[in-house]
Amino acid sequence: MTVAILMPAYNEGDRLLCTLHAVESAAAQLGGVTVFLVDDGGEPAIAACDLPVSNAQFHVVLARHAINLGQGAALETARQLALSSGEFQAYLTMDSDGQHDVAGLRAAAEAIERGADVALGSRFLGGSRVPRGRRALLRAAGLFEWALTGRRLGDAHNGLRAFNRRALQAIRIRHNRMAHATEITQHVLDASQWSVVEVPVVISYTPESLRKGQRASAALEILQDLLSHYLFKDST
Amino acid sequence: MTLASWSLLVLVLGLVGFDLVASTGKNRRALLLQVVIFLTGAFFVVFPSHATTLAHAAGIGRGVDFLMYPVVIWLTRESLLARRRRVEDSQKITALTRALALATADHRSMPRSAANA
Repeated sequence: MTVAILMPAYNEGDRLLCTLHAVESAAAQLGGVTVFLVDDGGEPAIAACDLPVSNAQFHVVLARHAINLGQGAALETARQLALSSGEFQAYLTMDSDGQHDVAGLRAAAEAIERGADVALGSRFLGGSRVPRGRRALLRAAGLFEWALTGRRLGDAHNGLRAFNRRALQAIRIRHNRMAHATEITQHVLDASQWSVVEVPVVISYTPESLRKGQRASAALEILQDLLSHYLFKDST
Repeated sequence: MTLASWSLLVLVLGLVGFDLVASTGKNRRALLLQVVIFLTGAFFVVFPSHATTLAHAAGIGRGVDFLMYPVVIWLTRESLLARRRRVEDSQKITALTRALALATADHRSMPRSAANA
């Protein structure tokens, strides 16, 4: 099995290197990993020479946005880069701040190998210690997406997801910022013929990840972005 | 005139004066339109009974409503148009930034077979 990992990054510093080293350590078990890393206009820019050295099982392809566009835009760039860079059996998205453990990567990739079209990570299945405020926010997001799509997911905004090539080709991310998570969920749930599973993922919360993660105020921005997209969909 | 009317008049005339002084000669026609609209507003501040007379002629009860209805409609339209332009501009910037990122992506560490696929 060969795995492509789509990884947006913005000013993650040492956390990015730790994440890449963790992925590298699991690369052989995954059958070979290529990370499509998109530096979303961070300062300082990620230098290719600072990244882990490639080997037979592990490669990094680095692209850089000249300006900061947002996580959704970086993910879309990584998606296009991965789809134009050969065939992989599974395409995973993951955060670059070290929140996701490699066991979650394996679980998601194996779900695709077993025949699922899409595997969505769920921190509530994986025994993560989710802070109370974050848990309430995620539950509210889940309810909102249930209202939009009619289906209920355990963890609607988990950055760890896996797709087969067909599913990834069908998902084009138009939301530049955090509303992309809702957009991906909508794509996935609208495609009723796809086999969708949820896999357990452990998320490690640190003060930095909580600081950079979504806050309640971000929910308003997401709603605003979704409304703009709804109103001006034909313009985009 | 009441204190509120005087305050409003000073604000309107102050804004007109400031914009005329701060203008660097660009967009003179837009500035002229702004001055005309602001001075019309100032006229109705000084002579509110004229607004009421016009409102009655149009079948609207109060002068202030006669002025507010079109303003709200116009601002709503402007707000939507501005948001649409922002969305379109954002999409263009995103496409440009992405094209540049894809064209300059560093594939050096890719296996030759995959990179050429």
